[in-house]
Amino acid sequence: MSANPNQQNIAESLTQVPSEFRYLIKGDRKQRIMASMVVVVMVAFYLLGLYVLEINPLRIITGLGELGKIVWLMLPPDPETWERAIRLLFSLIETISIAFLGTLLAAIIAFPLGFLAARNIVSLRLPQFMMRRGLDSIRGIDTLIWALIWINVVGLGPFAGVLAIMCSDIGSFGKLFSEAIEAADRKPVEGVKSAGGSHLDTIRLGIIPQILPVMLSQVLYYFESNTRSATIIGIVGAGGIGLYLAEQIRTLEWQQASFSILLILIAVALIDALSSRIRFAIIGGQQQ
Amino acid sequence: MLRISNLSKKFGTKSAVDNVSLDVMRGQFIGVIGRSGAGKSTLLRMINRLAEPSSGSIVWDGTDVTRLKGRELNEWRRRSAMIFQQFNLVGRLDVLNNVLVGRIASTPTWRSMLRLWGDDNRTIALAALAQFDMAGYAAQRAEELSGGQQQRVAICRALLQEPDLILADEPVASLDPRNTKLVMDALLRINKHFGITVLCNLHSLDLARTYCDRLVGLSHGKLVFDDVPEALTDSIARELYGIESDDVLAKQPSTPISDFVPAAAVA
Repeated sequence: MSANPNQQNIAESLTQVPSEFRYLIKGDRKQRIMASMVVVVMVAFYLLGLYVLEINPLRIITGLGELGKIVWLMLPPDPETWERAIRLLFSLIETISIAFLGTLLAAIIAFPLGFLAARNIVSLRLPQFMMRRGLDSIRGIDTLIWALIWINVVGLGPFAGVLAIMCSDIGSFGKLFSEAIEAADRKPVEGVKSAGGSHLDTIRLGIIPQILPVMLSQVLYYFESNTRSATIIGIVGAGGIGLYLAEQIRTLEWQQASFSILLILIAVALIDALSSRIRFAIIGGQQQ
Repeated sequence: MLRISNLSKKFGTKSAVDNVSLDVMRGQFIGVIGRSGAGKSTLLRMINRLAEPSSGSIVWDGTDVTRLKGRELNEWRRRSAMIFQQFNLVGRLDVLNNVLVGRIASTPTWRSMLRLWGDDNRTIALAALAQFDMAGYAAQRAEELSGGQQQRVAICRALLQEPDLILADEPVASLDPRNTKLVMDALLRINKHFGITVLCNLHSLDLARTYCDRLVGLSHGKLVFDDVPEALTDSIARELYGIESDDVLAKQPSTPISDFVPAAAVA
Protein backbone atom coordinates (compact mmCIF):
# COMPACT_ATOMS: atom_id res chain seq x y z
CA MET A 1 0.00 0.00 0.00
CA SER A 2 1.33 3.42 -0.90
CA ALA A 3 1.68 5.90 1.90
CA ASN A 4 0.42 8.65 -0.32
CA PRO A 5 -2.62 7.80 -2.46
CA ASN A 6 -2.40 11.16 -4.21
CA GLN A 7 1.03 10.36 -5.59
CA GLN A 8 -0.31 7.12 -6.97
CA ASN A 9 -3.17 8.93 -8.72
CA ILE A 10 -0.78 11.36 -10.36
CA ALA A 11 1.48 8.55 -11.56
CA GLU A 12 -1.56 6.77 -12.94
CA SER A 13 -2.90 9.75 -14.87
CA LEU A 14 0.57 10.46 -16.19
CA THR A 15 0.49 7.16 -18.10
CA GLN A 16 -2.64 8.40 -19.84
CA VAL A 17 -0.94 11.56 -21.19
CA PRO A 18 -0.07 11.04 -24.87
CA SER A 19 3.64 10.40 -25.18
CA GLU A 20 4.31 13.49 -27.32
CA PHE A 21 3.04 15.76 -24.54
CA ARG A 22 4.67 13.95 -21.65
CA TYR A 23 7.74 16.16 -21.71
CA LEU A 24 5.55 19.09 -20.66
CA ILE A 25 5.10 17.35 -17.31
CA LYS A 26 8.35 15.46 -16.81
CA GLY A 27 10.62 18.03 -18.45
CA ASP A 28 12.53 17.26 -21.59
CA ARG A 29 15.97 16.07 -20.55
CA LYS A 30 17.47 16.75 -23.96
CA GLN A 31 16.32 20.38 -23.86
CA ARG A 32 17.81 20.89 -20.41
CA ILE A 33 21.17 19.48 -21.48
CA MET A 34 21.13 21.76 -24.52
CA ALA A 35 20.35 24.82 -22.40
CA SER A 36 23.20 24.14 -19.98
CA MET A 37 25.55 23.50 -22.89
CA VAL A 38 24.71 26.93 -24.29
CA VAL A 39 25.50 28.55 -20.94
CA VAL A 40 28.84 26.67 -20.67
CA VAL A 41 29.85 27.70 -24.20
CA MET A 42 28.95 31.33 -23.56
CA VAL A 43 31.00 31.45 -20.35
CA ALA A 44 33.93 29.86 -22.20
CA PHE A 45 33.72 32.49 -24.94
CA TYR A 46 33.65 35.24 -22.35
CA LEU A 47 36.77 33.94 -20.63
CA LEU A 48 38.49 33.53 -24.00
CA GLY A 49 37.66 37.15 -24.81
CA LEU A 50 39.16 38.34 -21.51
CA TYR A 51 42.33 36.35 -22.30
CA VAL A 52 42.67 37.57 -25.90
CA LEU A 53 42.18 41.23 -24.97
CA GLU A 54 44.52 40.84 -21.98
CA ILE A 55 41.92 42.23 -19.65
CA ASN A 56 43.05 42.13 -16.08
CA PRO A 57 40.44 42.95 -13.43
CA LEU A 58 43.27 44.11 -11.18
CA ARG A 59 43.84 47.04 -13.49
CA ILE A 60 40.31 48.27 -12.87
CA ILE A 61 40.83 48.08 -9.14
CA THR A 62 44.10 50.00 -9.28
CA GLY A 63 42.55 52.36 -11.83
CA LEU A 64 39.62 53.11 -9.53
CA GLY A 65 41.86 55.32 -7.47
CA GLU A 66 42.79 57.26 -10.59
CA LEU A 67 39.11 57.64 -11.53
CA GLY A 68 38.37 58.95 -8.06
CA LYS A 69 41.20 61.46 -8.45
CA ILE A 70 39.76 62.71 -11.77
CA VAL A 71 36.29 63.08 -10.28
CA TRP A 72 37.82 64.97 -7.38
CA LEU A 73 39.66 67.28 -9.80
CA MET A 74 36.40 67.88 -11.68
CA LEU A 75 34.66 69.33 -8.65
CA PRO A 76 33.26 71.88 -8.67
CA PRO A 77 32.51 72.38 -12.39
CA ASP A 78 34.00 75.73 -13.22
CA PRO A 79 34.53 77.50 -16.56
CA GLU A 80 36.90 79.93 -14.72
CA THR A 81 35.86 83.01 -16.72
CA TRP A 82 32.46 84.28 -17.86
CA GLU A 83 33.83 84.73 -21.32
CA ARG A 84 34.70 81.04 -21.51
CA ALA A 85 31.30 80.03 -20.13
CA ILE A 86 29.55 82.01 -22.84
CA ARG A 87 31.79 80.51 -25.49
CA LEU A 88 30.92 77.02 -24.29
CA LEU A 89 27.23 77.89 -24.28
CA PHE A 90 27.44 79.08 -27.87
CA SER A 91 29.25 75.93 -28.93
CA LEU A 92 26.52 73.92 -27.22
CA ILE A 93 23.97 75.79 -29.32
CA GLU A 94 26.11 74.92 -32.33
CA THR A 95 25.96 71.23 -31.37
CA ILE A 96 22.18 71.37 -31.06
CA SER A 97 21.98 73.14 -34.43
CA ILE A 98 24.12 70.43 -36.03
CA ALA A 99 21.77 67.78 -34.64
CA PHE A 100 18.66 69.72 -35.72
CA LEU A 101 19.82 70.49 -39.27
CA GLY A 102 21.25 67.01 -39.80
CA THR A 103 18.07 65.30 -38.59
CA LEU A 104 15.77 67.58 -40.57
CA LEU A 105 17.75 67.19 -43.81
CA ALA A 106 17.85 63.43 -43.35
CA ALA A 107 14.08 63.33 -42.79
CA ILE A 108 13.37 65.42 -45.90
CA ILE A 109 15.61 63.26 -48.11
CA ALA A 110 14.41 59.98 -46.57
CA PHE A 111 10.72 60.85 -47.05
CA PRO A 112 10.56 59.98 -50.78
CA LEU A 113 13.14 57.19 -50.38
CA GLY A 114 10.95 55.54 -47.75
CA PHE A 115 8.11 55.29 -50.27
CA LEU A 116 10.46 53.83 -52.90
CA ALA A 117 11.55 51.17 -50.42
CA ALA A 118 8.01 50.18 -49.39
CA ARG A 119 6.61 46.96 -50.81
CA ASN A 120 3.03 48.27 -51.00
CA ILE A 121 4.07 51.33 -53.05
CA VAL A 122 6.63 50.00 -55.51
CA SER A 123 5.18 46.91 -57.12
CA LEU A 124 8.42 45.96 -58.87
CA ARG A 125 10.31 43.73 -56.44
CA LEU A 126 13.86 44.37 -57.64
CA PRO A 127 14.08 48.21 -57.36
CA GLN A 128 12.22 48.11 -54.05
CA PHE A 129 14.58 45.46 -52.69
CA MET A 130 17.65 47.36 -53.91
CA MET A 131 16.42 50.58 -52.32
CA ARG A 132 15.86 48.80 -49.02
CA ARG A 133 19.33 47.19 -49.12
CA GLY A 134 20.87 50.54 -50.11
CA LEU A 135 19.30 52.23 -47.10
CA ASP A 136 20.54 49.38 -44.90
CA SER A 137 24.11 49.90 -46.14
CA ILE A 138 24.02 53.65 -45.45
CA ARG A 139 22.68 52.86 -42.00
CA GLY A 140 25.46 50.35 -41.44
CA ILE A 141 28.09 53.13 -41.42
CA ASP A 142 28.22 54.90 -38.08
CA THR A 143 27.87 58.67 -37.70
CA LEU A 144 31.44 58.93 -36.42
CA ILE A 145 32.82 57.33 -39.60
CA TRP A 146 30.67 59.62 -41.76
CA ALA A 147 32.10 62.56 -39.78
CA LEU A 148 35.68 61.47 -40.49
CA ILE A 149 34.82 61.13 -44.18
CA TRP A 150 33.08 64.52 -44.45
CA ILE A 151 35.83 66.35 -42.56
CA ASN A 152 38.15 65.29 -45.37
CA VAL A 153 35.67 66.47 -47.98
CA VAL A 154 34.38 69.82 -46.65
CA GLY A 155 36.97 70.49 -43.95
CA LEU A 156 36.69 70.79 -40.16
CA GLY A 157 33.64 72.44 -38.65
CA PRO A 158 29.89 72.15 -38.14
CA PHE A 159 29.06 71.64 -41.84
CA ALA A 160 30.85 68.27 -41.77
CA GLY A 161 28.86 67.45 -38.63
CA VAL A 162 25.53 68.23 -40.29
CA LEU A 163 26.44 66.08 -43.30
CA ALA A 164 27.60 63.21 -41.07
CA ILE A 165 24.36 63.12 -39.09
CA MET A 166 22.32 63.51 -42.26
CA CYS A 167 24.04 60.59 -43.98
CA SER A 168 23.71 58.04 -41.24
CA ASP A 169 20.10 59.06 -40.54
CA ILE A 170 18.93 58.89 -44.16
CA GLY A 171 19.39 55.14 -43.89
CA SER A 172 17.61 54.84 -40.55
CA PHE A 173 14.74 57.13 -41.50
CA GLY A 174 14.32 55.52 -44.91
CA LYS A 175 13.99 52.12 -43.30
CA LEU A 176 11.69 53.29 -40.48
CA PHE A 177 9.50 55.29 -42.89
CA SER A 178 9.16 52.41 -45.33
CA GLU A 179 8.18 50.08 -42.50
CA ALA A 180 5.55 52.57 -41.31
CA ILE A 181 4.23 52.82 -44.87
CA GLU A 182 4.04 49.04 -45.16
CA ALA A 183 2.17 48.83 -41.86
CA ALA A 184 -0.42 51.42 -42.95
CA ASP A 185 -4.05 50.33 -43.06
CA ARG A 186 -5.06 49.22 -46.57
CA LYS A 187 -8.73 50.19 -46.24
CA PRO A 188 -8.41 53.99 -46.69
CA VAL A 189 -6.18 53.34 -49.72
CA GLU A 190 -8.88 51.14 -51.20
CA GLY A 191 -11.46 53.82 -50.46
CA VAL A 192 -9.53 56.46 -52.41
CA LYS A 193 -8.80 54.00 -55.22
CA SER A 194 -12.45 52.97 -55.55
CA ALA A 195 -13.45 56.62 -56.02
CA GLY A 196 -11.12 56.89 -59.02
CA GLY A 197 -7.96 58.13 -57.33
CA SER A 198 -4.60 57.60 -59.05
CA HIS A 199 -1.68 55.81 -57.39
CA LEU A 200 -0.36 59.20 -56.28
CA ASP A 201 -3.77 60.15 -54.86
CA THR A 202 -3.94 56.96 -52.80
CA ILE A 203 -0.52 57.79 -51.33
CA ARG A 204 -1.38 61.41 -50.60
CA LEU A 205 -4.85 60.85 -49.15
CA GLY A 206 -4.82 57.20 -48.08
CA ILE A 207 -1.33 56.67 -46.66
CA ILE A 208 0.27 59.99 -45.71
CA PRO A 209 -2.40 61.03 -43.18
CA GLN A 210 -1.85 57.70 -41.44
CA ILE A 211 1.94 57.75 -41.30
CA LEU A 212 2.72 61.44 -40.79
CA PRO A 213 2.34 61.35 -36.98
CA VAL A 214 4.47 58.20 -36.79
CA MET A 215 7.19 59.85 -38.90
CA LEU A 216 7.13 63.05 -36.85
CA SER A 217 7.57 61.18 -33.62
CA GLN A 218 10.46 59.18 -35.08
CA VAL A 219 12.16 62.36 -36.28
CA LEU A 220 11.81 63.97 -32.85
CA TYR A 221 13.25 60.91 -31.19
CA TYR A 222 16.23 60.96 -33.52
CA PHE A 223 16.79 64.68 -32.95
CA GLU A 224 17.06 63.91 -29.27
CA SER A 225 19.56 61.10 -29.72
CA ASN A 226 21.48 63.07 -32.36
CA THR A 227 22.21 65.80 -29.83
CA ARG A 228 24.36 63.22 -28.08
CA SER A 229 25.90 61.99 -31.37
CA ALA A 230 26.71 65.59 -32.36
CA THR A 231 28.78 65.95 -29.19
CA ILE A 232 30.80 62.84 -30.05
CA ILE A 233 31.47 63.85 -33.64
CA GLY A 234 32.55 67.26 -32.34
CA ILE A 235 35.47 65.47 -30.67
CA VAL A 236 36.85 64.41 -34.07
CA GLY A 237 36.54 67.98 -35.34
CA ALA A 238 33.05 68.28 -36.74
CA GLY A 239 32.18 71.39 -34.74
CA GLY A 240 30.23 72.08 -31.57
CA ILE A 241 30.95 71.61 -27.91
CA GLY A 242 32.61 68.23 -28.44
CA LEU A 243 35.65 70.00 -29.86
CA TYR A 244 36.10 72.01 -26.64
CA LEU A 245 35.48 68.98 -24.46
CA ALA A 246 38.16 66.97 -26.25
CA GLU A 247 40.59 69.88 -25.86
CA GLN A 248 39.81 70.29 -22.15
CA ILE A 249 40.39 66.59 -21.46
CA ARG A 250 43.64 66.62 -23.43
CA THR A 251 44.98 69.60 -21.50
CA LEU A 252 43.72 68.16 -18.18
CA GLU A 253 41.40 71.12 -17.51
CA TRP A 254 39.09 68.87 -15.50
CA GLN A 255 36.91 71.57 -13.97
CA GLN A 256 36.19 73.06 -17.38
CA ALA A 257 35.53 69.58 -18.78
CA SER A 258 32.99 68.85 -16.06
CA PHE A 259 31.31 72.18 -16.76
CA SER A 260 30.98 71.22 -20.45
CA ILE A 261 29.60 67.81 -19.52
CA LEU A 262 27.10 69.46 -17.20
CA LEU A 263 25.93 71.75 -20.00
CA ILE A 264 25.47 68.76 -22.33
CA LEU A 265 23.52 66.85 -19.68
CA ILE A 266 21.18 69.77 -19.09
CA ALA A 267 20.64 70.29 -22.83
CA VAL A 268 19.93 66.62 -23.48
CA ALA A 269 17.53 66.45 -20.53
CA LEU A 270 15.67 69.53 -21.76
CA ILE A 271 15.36 68.25 -25.33
CA ASP A 272 14.34 64.85 -24.03
CA ALA A 273 11.54 66.33 -21.92
CA LEU A 274 10.38 68.64 -24.69
CA SER A 275 10.39 66.06 -27.46
CA SER A 276 8.64 63.39 -25.44
CA ARG A 277 5.93 65.95 -24.68
CA ILE A 278 5.54 66.84 -28.35
CA ARG A 279 5.61 63.19 -29.39
CA PHE A 280 2.94 62.36 -26.85
CA ALA A 281 0.82 65.26 -28.08
CA ILE A 282 1.09 64.05 -31.68
CA ILE A 283 0.31 60.41 -30.99
CA GLY A 284 -2.15 61.10 -28.18
CA GLY A 285 -4.06 63.41 -30.53
CA GLN A 286 -5.68 60.30 -31.95
CA GLN A 287 -7.83 59.80 -28.89
CA GLN A 288 -8.99 63.39 -28.58
CA MET B 1 -27.25 49.50 -68.67
CA LEU B 2 -24.70 47.18 -67.13
CA ARG B 3 -24.24 43.82 -68.83
CA ILE B 4 -22.13 41.21 -67.11
CA SER B 5 -21.32 38.21 -69.32
CA ASN B 6 -19.68 34.93 -68.31
CA LEU B 7 -17.74 36.64 -65.56
CA SER B 8 -15.35 34.43 -63.57
CA LYS B 9 -12.72 35.00 -60.94
CA LYS B 10 -10.33 32.25 -59.92
CA PHE B 11 -8.06 32.29 -56.89
CA GLY B 12 -5.64 29.51 -57.79
CA THR B 13 -7.87 26.60 -58.71
CA LYS B 14 -10.82 27.79 -56.63
CA SER B 15 -13.52 29.80 -58.37
CA ALA B 16 -14.82 32.73 -56.31
CA VAL B 17 -17.18 33.83 -59.08
CA ASP B 18 -18.10 31.21 -61.65
CA ASN B 19 -19.47 32.17 -65.06
CA VAL B 20 -21.96 34.79 -63.89
CA SER B 21 -24.10 36.63 -66.43
CA LEU B 22 -26.34 39.45 -65.33
CA ASP B 23 -28.10 42.46 -66.85
CA VAL B 24 -28.63 45.46 -64.62
CA MET B 25 -31.17 48.08 -65.70
CA ARG B 26 -30.82 51.74 -64.79
CA GLY B 27 -32.55 52.72 -61.57
CA GLN B 28 -32.85 49.23 -60.12
CA PHE B 29 -32.14 48.45 -56.48
CA ILE B 30 -30.63 44.99 -56.67
CA GLY B 31 -29.82 42.91 -53.63
CA VAL B 32 -27.06 40.34 -54.04
CA ILE B 33 -27.64 37.56 -51.54
CA GLY B 34 -25.94 34.34 -50.56
CA ARG B 35 -23.96 32.89 -47.72
CA SER B 36 -20.51 34.15 -46.66
CA GLY B 37 -17.90 33.22 -49.24
CA ALA B 38 -20.45 32.83 -52.05
CA GLY B 39 -18.59 35.40 -54.16
CA LYS B 40 -20.85 38.44 -53.61
CA SER B 41 -17.99 40.68 -52.56
CA THR B 42 -15.71 39.55 -55.39
CA LEU B 43 -18.49 40.22 -57.90
CA LEU B 44 -18.95 43.82 -56.75
CA ARG B 45 -15.22 44.45 -56.50
CA MET B 46 -14.74 43.22 -60.06
CA ILE B 47 -17.33 45.70 -61.31
CA ASN B 48 -15.36 48.58 -59.72
CA ARG B 49 -12.13 46.86 -60.85
CA LEU B 50 -10.72 46.57 -57.35
CA ALA B 51 -10.47 42.90 -58.34
CA GLU B 52 -9.49 41.77 -61.82
CA PRO B 53 -11.73 39.18 -63.50
CA SER B 54 -10.11 35.98 -64.74
CA SER B 55 -12.46 35.87 -67.71
CA GLY B 56 -15.71 37.38 -69.00
CA SER B 57 -16.76 40.93 -69.61
CA ILE B 58 -18.52 43.80 -67.87
CA VAL B 59 -20.07 46.18 -70.39
CA TRP B 60 -21.49 49.58 -69.45
CA ASP B 61 -23.32 51.39 -72.26
CA GLY B 62 -21.24 49.65 -74.90
CA THR B 63 -17.82 49.98 -73.21
CA ASP B 64 -16.09 46.90 -71.82
CA VAL B 65 -14.89 48.23 -68.47
CA THR B 66 -12.62 45.22 -67.86
CA ARG B 67 -10.30 46.61 -70.53
CA LEU B 68 -10.05 50.17 -69.21
CA LYS B 69 -6.69 51.55 -68.12
CA GLY B 70 -5.26 54.72 -66.58
CA ARG B 71 -7.49 57.80 -66.67
CA GLU B 72 -10.40 55.93 -68.26
CA LEU B 73 -10.29 53.33 -65.49
CA ASN B 74 -10.30 56.05 -62.83
CA GLU B 75 -13.25 57.67 -64.60
CA TRP B 76 -15.12 54.34 -64.54
CA ARG B 77 -14.35 53.94 -60.84
CA ARG B 78 -15.84 57.40 -60.27
CA ARG B 79 -19.02 56.30 -62.04
CA SER B 80 -19.30 53.04 -60.08
CA ALA B 81 -19.01 54.20 -56.49
CA MET B 82 -18.15 51.64 -53.81
CA ILE B 83 -19.48 51.53 -50.27
CA PHE B 84 -17.62 49.14 -47.98
CA GLN B 85 -18.48 47.10 -44.92
CA GLN B 86 -15.65 48.77 -43.00
CA PHE B 87 -16.43 52.22 -44.54
CA ASN B 88 -12.82 52.60 -45.80
CA LEU B 89 -12.60 56.24 -44.79
CA VAL B 90 -9.30 57.94 -44.05
CA GLY B 91 -9.53 57.87 -40.26
CA ARG B 92 -7.15 60.71 -39.50
CA LEU B 93 -8.68 63.04 -42.09
CA ASP B 94 -11.67 65.18 -41.18
CA VAL B 95 -15.15 64.29 -42.41
CA LEU B 96 -15.31 67.05 -45.04
CA ASN B 97 -12.04 65.97 -46.63
CA ASN B 98 -13.22 62.38 -46.63
CA VAL B 99 -16.34 63.38 -48.53
CA LEU B 100 -14.21 65.44 -50.93
CA VAL B 101 -12.25 62.30 -51.80
CA GLY B 102 -15.33 61.59 -53.93
CA ARG B 103 -14.10 64.41 -56.19
CA ILE B 104 -10.68 62.85 -56.66
CA ALA B 105 -11.21 61.62 -60.21
CA SER B 106 -12.32 65.05 -61.43
CA THR B 107 -9.60 66.99 -59.57
CA PRO B 108 -6.20 67.69 -61.17
CA THR B 109 -3.33 65.93 -59.39
CA TRP B 110 -1.58 69.11 -58.25
CA ARG B 111 -4.82 70.20 -56.56
CA SER B 112 -5.45 66.87 -54.84
CA MET B 113 -1.82 66.76 -53.64
CA LEU B 114 -2.38 70.08 -51.85
CA ARG B 115 -5.98 69.21 -51.00
CA LEU B 116 -7.14 72.34 -52.81
CA TRP B 117 -10.65 71.16 -53.54
CA GLY B 118 -12.11 74.57 -54.27
CA ASP B 119 -14.96 76.39 -52.57
CA ASP B 120 -17.63 75.00 -54.89
CA ASN B 121 -16.71 71.41 -54.10
CA ARG B 122 -16.54 72.17 -50.40
CA THR B 123 -20.03 73.63 -50.57
CA ILE B 124 -21.36 70.58 -52.39
CA ALA B 125 -19.70 68.27 -49.86
CA LEU B 126 -21.22 70.17 -46.98
CA ALA B 127 -24.63 70.07 -48.63
CA ALA B 128 -24.34 66.30 -49.08
CA LEU B 129 -23.45 65.91 -45.41
CA ALA B 130 -26.40 68.09 -44.44
CA GLN B 131 -28.73 65.76 -46.34
CA PHE B 132 -27.81 62.97 -43.95
CA ASP B 133 -27.71 65.11 -40.80
CA MET B 134 -23.92 64.95 -40.75
CA ALA B 135 -22.95 68.58 -41.48
CA GLY B 136 -22.21 69.21 -37.80
CA TYR B 137 -19.43 66.63 -37.89
CA ALA B 138 -17.67 68.10 -40.94
CA ALA B 139 -14.58 69.24 -39.01
CA GLN B 140 -14.24 66.10 -36.92
CA ARG B 141 -11.84 63.27 -37.69
CA ALA B 142 -13.61 60.38 -39.38
CA GLU B 143 -12.19 57.85 -36.92
CA GLU B 144 -13.94 59.61 -34.04
CA LEU B 145 -17.41 58.86 -35.42
CA SER B 146 -19.59 55.82 -34.75
CA GLY B 147 -19.95 53.11 -37.38
CA GLY B 148 -23.32 54.37 -38.58
CA GLN B 149 -22.04 57.92 -38.88
CA GLN B 150 -18.94 56.76 -40.76
CA GLN B 151 -21.08 54.83 -43.21
CA ARG B 152 -23.19 57.94 -43.86
CA VAL B 153 -19.97 59.87 -44.55
CA ALA B 154 -18.98 57.10 -46.97
CA ILE B 155 -22.36 57.46 -48.70
CA CYS B 156 -21.73 61.21 -49.05
CA ARG B 157 -18.33 60.44 -50.55
CA ALA B 158 -20.01 58.11 -53.03
CA LEU B 159 -22.57 60.81 -53.89
CA LEU B 160 -19.85 63.35 -54.63
CA GLN B 161 -18.52 60.97 -57.25
CA GLU B 162 -21.81 61.68 -59.11
CA PRO B 163 -21.99 57.98 -59.90
CA ASP B 164 -24.27 56.09 -62.27
CA LEU B 165 -24.00 53.06 -60.07
CA ILE B 166 -23.50 52.43 -56.39
CA LEU B 167 -21.87 49.17 -55.35
CA ALA B 168 -22.52 48.58 -51.67
CA ASP B 169 -20.52 45.67 -50.25
CA GLU B 170 -22.28 44.55 -47.04
CA PRO B 171 -22.87 48.20 -46.04
CA VAL B 172 -24.68 47.35 -42.80
CA ALA B 173 -22.88 44.18 -41.68
CA SER B 174 -21.00 45.96 -38.89
CA LEU B 175 -23.86 48.20 -37.75
CA ASP B 176 -26.54 47.96 -35.06
CA PRO B 177 -30.24 47.76 -36.04
CA ARG B 178 -30.92 51.49 -35.73
CA ASN B 179 -27.95 52.44 -37.90
CA THR B 180 -28.75 49.62 -40.28
CA LYS B 181 -32.12 51.26 -40.94
CA LEU B 182 -30.53 54.71 -41.29
CA VAL B 183 -27.98 53.52 -43.82
CA MET B 184 -30.38 51.35 -45.83
CA ASP B 185 -32.89 54.22 -45.91
CA ALA B 186 -30.12 56.49 -47.19
CA LEU B 187 -29.31 54.05 -50.00
CA LEU B 188 -32.98 53.74 -50.88
CA ARG B 189 -33.34 57.51 -50.95
CA ILE B 190 -30.39 57.85 -53.32
CA ASN B 191 -31.94 55.18 -55.51
CA LYS B 192 -35.42 56.73 -55.60
CA HIS B 193 -34.39 60.42 -55.52
CA PHE B 194 -31.51 60.47 -57.97
CA GLY B 195 -32.29 57.32 -59.92
CA ILE B 196 -28.85 55.92 -59.21
CA THR B 197 -28.68 52.17 -59.72
CA VAL B 198 -27.76 50.32 -56.53
CA LEU B 199 -26.17 46.89 -56.26
CA CYS B 200 -26.11 45.92 -52.63
CA ASN B 201 -24.58 42.81 -51.05
CA LEU B 202 -26.69 41.77 -48.12
CA HIS B 203 -26.39 38.92 -45.74
CA SER B 204 -29.81 39.45 -44.21
CA LEU B 205 -32.72 38.20 -46.31
CA ASP B 206 -35.08 40.31 -44.28
CA LEU B 207 -33.35 43.50 -45.41
CA ALA B 208 -33.04 42.25 -48.96
CA ARG B 209 -36.78 41.60 -49.18
CA THR B 210 -37.59 44.96 -47.62
CA TYR B 211 -35.45 47.25 -49.73
CA CYS B 212 -34.65 45.61 -53.04
CA ASP B 213 -36.80 45.38 -56.14
CA ARG B 214 -34.75 42.53 -57.54
CA LEU B 215 -32.73 39.81 -55.86
CA VAL B 216 -29.74 37.95 -57.24
CA GLY B 217 -28.61 34.83 -55.41
CA LEU B 218 -25.09 33.48 -55.53
CA SER B 219 -24.00 30.08 -54.32
CA HIS B 220 -20.40 28.85 -54.64
CA GLY B 221 -19.78 31.64 -57.13
CA LYS B 222 -22.65 30.61 -59.41
CA LEU B 223 -25.77 32.61 -60.11
CA VAL B 224 -28.62 30.48 -58.80
CA PHE B 225 -31.47 32.95 -58.39
CA ASP B 226 -32.53 36.12 -60.22
CA ASP B 227 -36.05 37.39 -59.68
CA VAL B 228 -38.29 39.72 -57.73
CA PRO B 229 -38.11 39.32 -53.93
CA GLU B 230 -41.60 37.78 -53.82
CA ALA B 231 -40.36 34.83 -55.86
CA LEU B 232 -37.81 33.91 -53.22
CA THR B 233 -39.50 31.13 -51.30
CA ASP B 234 -38.25 29.74 -48.04
CA SER B 235 -37.12 26.54 -49.71
CA ILE B 236 -34.99 28.44 -52.25
CA ALA B 237 -33.57 30.51 -49.41
CA ARG B 238 -32.68 27.37 -47.49
CA GLU B 239 -30.88 26.04 -50.53
CA LEU B 240 -29.01 29.35 -50.93
CA TYR B 241 -27.89 29.66 -47.37
CA GLY B 242 -27.49 26.01 -46.31
CA ILE B 243 -26.68 25.71 -42.64
CA GLU B 244 -26.79 29.50 -42.22
CA SER B 245 -30.44 29.62 -43.28
CA ASP B 246 -31.82 29.71 -39.75
CA ASP B 247 -29.85 32.89 -39.08
CA VAL B 248 -31.03 34.80 -42.11
CA LEU B 249 -34.64 33.68 -42.51
CA ALA B 250 -37.04 36.15 -41.01
CA LYS B 251 -38.11 35.34 -37.50
CA GLN B 252 -40.81 37.95 -37.84
CA PRO B 253 -42.80 39.12 -40.86
CA SER B 254 -40.89 41.75 -42.79
CA THR B 255 -42.08 45.33 -42.71
CA PRO B 256 -43.77 46.58 -45.88
CA ILE B 257 -41.52 48.88 -47.85
CA SER B 258 -43.83 51.89 -47.59
CA ASP B 259 -42.91 52.21 -43.89
CA PHE B 260 -39.29 52.74 -44.77
CA VAL B 261 -39.41 55.06 -47.72
CA PRO B 262 -39.14 58.65 -46.54
CA ALA B 263 -42.16 60.75 -47.42
CA ALA B 264 -40.19 62.85 -49.89
CA ALA B 265 -39.18 59.81 -51.90
CA VAL B 266 -42.70 58.47 -52.20
CA ALA B 267 -44.19 61.75 -53.28
